[in-house]
Amino acid sequence: MGTAFLHQVSNVGAHERRLFELSGLSEGRSGSSRRPVVIAELYRAFREEGRTLVEILWEQHRFHEARRWNAVELVESVRPEHLTELDRLVVWSAGQAEMTAKPSADRMTRLADAECRRWQGKDDALASVIQALGSWSRYWNEEESHHEMGFTQLSLQLGFPPPSDATVIDYRKIFPDDDLLRTVAMLSFSEGIAAVNYGQYARHVREPALKALLKNVGADEVQHMQYFISFSKALVDSGAYPAKEAFAVAHLFLREGGELYGSAREHVESRNTHTNWWDHLGDGAGEAAVTPEALERKRSLILHALKRITGISCATPQEVEDLWMDLVGE
Amino acid sequence: MADTGELKAYIQKKFCENVGLPAEEVFGPDLTLAAIISRSERMTNSVDLMESFARTANALRKDHGIRIRLPALALDTPISKVLEVFLQEVERSQGRAA
Repeated sequence: MGTAFLHQVSNVGAHERRLFELSGLSEGRSGSSRRPVVIAELYRAFREEGRTLVEILWEQHRFHEARRWNAVELVESVRPEHLTELDRLVVWSAGQAEMTAKPSADRMTRLADAECRRWQGKDDALASVIQALGSWSRYWNEEESHHEMGFTQLSLQLGFPPPSDATVIDYRKIFPDDDLLRTVAMLSFSEGIAAVNYGQYARHVREPALKALLKNVGADEVQHMQYFISFSKALVDSGAYPAKEAFAVAHLFLREGGELYGSAREHVESRNTHTNWWDHLGDGAGEAAVTPEALERKRSLILHALKRITGISCATPQEVEDLWMDLVGE
Repeated sequence: MADTGELKAYIQKKFCENVGLPAEEVFGPDLTLAAIISRSERMTNSVDLMESFARTANALRKDHGIRIRLPALALDTPISKVLEVFLQEVERSQGRAA
């Protein structure tokens, strides 16, 4: 029985490859030469252009397929002896941080499903937007899995002790529910911050495979940010979710001592509900994440995202606070 | 110009209106921010708390012409400390205006 099982496992790769070739999932065989995109005007697509969920979900799928990369191959091609001490710390820290992506995505899926059903019959275009968000979260979750598996396995190869089962289970605590726009806006900002972190690390790493791994992960985070901006904008465009919620989250990140500063903050909140990845970056990684250049890039990305989501432009964190306070009223 | 005691009472009143809790329940036992969030039916997390601070600051600007910067405080901070920070900001703002 053991031999039969091993025989099956050894043939899985060949079978899978054959099935993939036959299925014709790649863009070149889909019959369309149009490049897949993140749809920027999602509420309008449903409301005014009469797009259907099947069309939108296919676009999501094409985009996902077109961007896939192989974490196993990249991790196996890293040469550990060429890594510096900081490279090693970054890999370990990234693995820890990525472990919290799954509970974040699980929360998103659950929240989107509840909100979608709340809007059915009241604003069907909005219900479809939110269903598109919930459906897309499966690709997001899968891509984050590439990151977690890649960095965690690489840190084991580098000699770091494996996280205990208790640690993994603790890091998997599902995030508490919140307003949908706040949640999606927060995710767009945190993906932008993650992208900058990976970009910063990638510039300093010399080992080619680790550099490629960091760049691939960073590019994924940029795409996730684009998607979250698109969904957030659609929520605001619908008129059902007030822009002040996106401003509130931007302010939470940008204010002095805000979330933007991650584990480098003087006081990092102690939580028993869930684990925020940016609160737990290790020493070397935490410092690299708050260099002046990194902070400037992160601020710029958040301000850009806020403008795309709400249509309101702010040049500084102070302007964000002022506008948010105006929107909040008394 | 209102005196400090009057402003203190005003800030307490506005904040409690915003969180939907009576002043004696918030300031009597000197609740932490985390405890206020958990007791208030209007709040689920620190974003709601920030909004309560913002609304209080906006009311202060409208009714007393005092513009203050919002505090960024940990959730284990007692409300007496928040009030102190608000009053320091009021003092700073009035000092700048003078």
